[in-house]
Amino acid sequence: MAVTVENTRERYQPSLRQWSKFFRNNTSIILIYVIILVVIGAAAILNENFRTPSNMLNILRQSIIIGLIAIGQSVVVLTGGIDFSVAQVARIVGLTVATIFAAQGSNPALILPLILLGLFIGALLGGFNGLIITRTHANPFIITFGIASILRGVNLAISTTPIRGIPDPYLRIYDFKIGIVPANVLVMIIMWVAAYVFTTRTRTGRALYAVGGSERVARLSAIRYNRTLVTAYIFSSFCAAIAGLFLLARTGVGDPSAAEGMDFQSVVAVALGGISLYGGRGSILGTLGGVLLLAALSNVFNLLQVNIYYQQLFLGLIVLITVAVYKSPRSA
Amino acid sequence: MAALKESNNSGKIILSLKNINKSFGGIRALSEVSFDLRQGEIHALVGENGAGKSTLIKIVTGAYTADTGTIVFNGTIYDSLHPGQARDLGIAAVYQEFNLLPELSVAENISLGEQPLGRGGLLDLKARSARAYELLEQLGAQAHIDPNELVKYLTVGEQQIVEIAKALAINARVLIMDEPSAVLPSRDLDRLFAVIRTLRDKGHGIIYISHRLNEIFELAERVTVLKDGQTMATKVVSNTNNAELVSLMVGRPLTDMYPPKDNTPGKVLLAVQDLCVEGTVFNISFEVKTGEVVGMAGLGGSGRTTLCRALVGLGSIRSGKVLFLGKPAPKLPSKAAYAGMVLVPEDRKAYGLILNQSMRFNLALPNLSKFIHMGVLSSSAEKEAIQKTIADTQIKPPTPEISTENLSGGNQQKVVVGKWLLANPKLVIFDEPTRGIDVGAKAEIYLRIRELTRQGVGIIMASSELPELIGMSDRILVFHEGRLAGEVERRDFSEETIMLLATGTAVEEIQSQ
Repeated sequence: MAVTVENTRERYQPSLRQWSKFFRNNTSIILIYVIILVVIGAAAILNENFRTPSNMLNILRQSIIIGLIAIGQSVVVLTGGIDFSVAQVARIVGLTVATIFAAQGSNPALILPLILLGLFIGALLGGFNGLIITRTHANPFIITFGIASILRGVNLAISTTPIRGIPDPYLRIYDFKIGIVPANVLVMIIMWVAAYVFTTRTRTGRALYAVGGSERVARLSAIRYNRTLVTAYIFSSFCAAIAGLFLLARTGVGDPSAAEGMDFQSVVAVALGGISLYGGRGSILGTLGGVLLLAALSNVFNLLQVNIYYQQLFLGLIVLITVAVYKSPRSA
Repeated sequence: MAALKESNNSGKIILSLKNINKSFGGIRALSEVSFDLRQGEIHALVGENGAGKSTLIKIVTGAYTADTGTIVFNGTIYDSLHPGQARDLGIAAVYQEFNLLPELSVAENISLGEQPLGRGGLLDLKARSARAYELLEQLGAQAHIDPNELVKYLTVGEQQIVEIAKALAINARVLIMDEPSAVLPSRDLDRLFAVIRTLRDKGHGIIYISHRLNEIFELAERVTVLKDGQTMATKVVSNTNNAELVSLMVGRPLTDMYPPKDNTPGKVLLAVQDLCVEGTVFNISFEVKTGEVVGMAGLGGSGRTTLCRALVGLGSIRSGKVLFLGKPAPKLPSKAAYAGMVLVPEDRKAYGLILNQSMRFNLALPNLSKFIHMGVLSSSAEKEAIQKTIADTQIKPPTPEISTENLSGGNQQKVVVGKWLLANPKLVIFDEPTRGIDVGAKAEIYLRIRELTRQGVGIIMASSELPELIGMSDRILVFHEGRLAGEVERRDFSEETIMLLATGTAVEEIQSQ
């Protein structure tokens, strides 16, 4: 009887109930955006260099590359895994493309093939990660860390000094504008929207959550566990490869220290955004918030000339705090 | 015996709860509940899931504080107890999930709270073993439980007795047993009952919670029925009967739990030939036809669950054939489910539901391909299907976004059943479909099973509850120690026949008949 009453009320006051539901179900996402507004608001009041439009655009631009990596990381973390090889994947893609450009006398005709090659390398490495993890059932942290270590060695073998000889048209990719919209911002927006649709509105997306929630239940519910996991790692490495190609265009040289620290930063962004590090819960929209918050904070730190070491310390603290706040689903 | 019972009934009241009220965020869990327990009495507490039994128990053990009402323990009045206080007073509870450390010995577990110290502040191992032996002796279990054995090597029944010994170690005068029989294979039941009776005769008060009413008639002196957070009645067991208790619990007379069979089985759906599963199940052959309910009976460890799981690709099949619709059955769970062979598992929390996800998510999980339009999930199609399933299976509350971990056991089971109803399966394997769920939810599950058979779905129903097997099955396969001990046709159904086969004592006799 009480049930019927509730249903009727729902029908007559849709907006109010739905809003309260929205707030209850999305607490962590709302929280992160409120924090961003607070940080930006405080910084804008305190520092006049911060509130210039060009600085704001700067924050957005700073969040492009880490954002791409964090999109991939989100998908992996949703499955209950973690991908610690993303920074090295981005780096090896950049270095490989740069090396070939240098060897072929900066031939602009190679731009498209090399972009495709870079994306292929990314997908291939992700496939490796995924296959090893599904075959061995080992902890993804150990596996991807091992792969990262191998890639780090390969990267050092490729070059220890910056590689020059990237053709001019490639360098212009990064600052290319369509009208007044920078192409890189456009790519970022497309990637975020695509990731949102992928995680919320596709079968594989739903499978990510299922696999992260419970492997056994997922398997028994007609979800292809191995395929889902391998797809997640391929997607993650693919995103890292796009990031590596953008980084190459931005720095203009094949940089043997490219993307340093972005593996950890991407995990921080994901955790900040409320995706459970135990898998199965959270939203890509939260990760976007996490990325923007990190970019805003790093911008503020730079304006205030905070030592880079303290910034590191701060990142570590954030991870510990967010993990403590969200806890394990079982201990809650 | 009668004289003893008489003296128990006049035992003095040790624990009494008066007019207890408790609400959680506006929802009333208990309303004016009163309950008392005498020394040397076994007082059963029954009610559907969500009737308020657990809340009441948690108020007694101090885990919750009542909003209003008083607790009288041994003549002293308390407004509320906190957990440490309840323990010091001698109130202990044995839950379905044990609090034992598997890697420690029986003696270590029993004296975990208070380790006996010897000279120099070192543990006195001898005293510890002696104390454990003494407590086990009090329970009459010293002969088959060695205090120095590691707990992980004990059977579930033995672990339960260790858990009771642990309660005695803190001088428990009131012992609360939350569905102790649900986790036990039936051969251990007698031993448990003997232990409980021993405790009663020593003057302990025992609150005994169970869904199995026949146990209550066997064991308890009085029974209190809770429904929707209210005390319906407290009855002396000898003055009541099964039907009365059930109607008090559900609030309506439950004429027939088992909907009648209304279809005839069709062609062969599943054929199992000479199946062996790694070390536990040997040479099993049987068939399931469309629209047929094949029951599987057997004691704990008889291989029923192993077989059920092996059929959907969990566990390693060593030899033999499984033919589904004439073709070899898929070997992976996901492919089996896709082909229409699904398992409603014994342990719904570990195998049936993604607990931290919503009811909608869980119901939709095996049905995602139905909601895809041009590569993208259509939320309106999903919502419509989910709402229909919720209405069909009568899940309460009917809120698609509620997290499944917040549902009661019976409603969780309805979600597991509901997700497969939506998927149009061809063969559904139910393993203990009604374990730990209340009478009302049971009846709903039986209705759903009949509905499935009417649509030509084949059903395998493995259960340790003989009445439901007898009520629902067309045939019953009886297992004994991993082998098929016999098959009983509907016209020959009786608890005796099945138990004889299941215990393996009378195989030859029955065959020679």
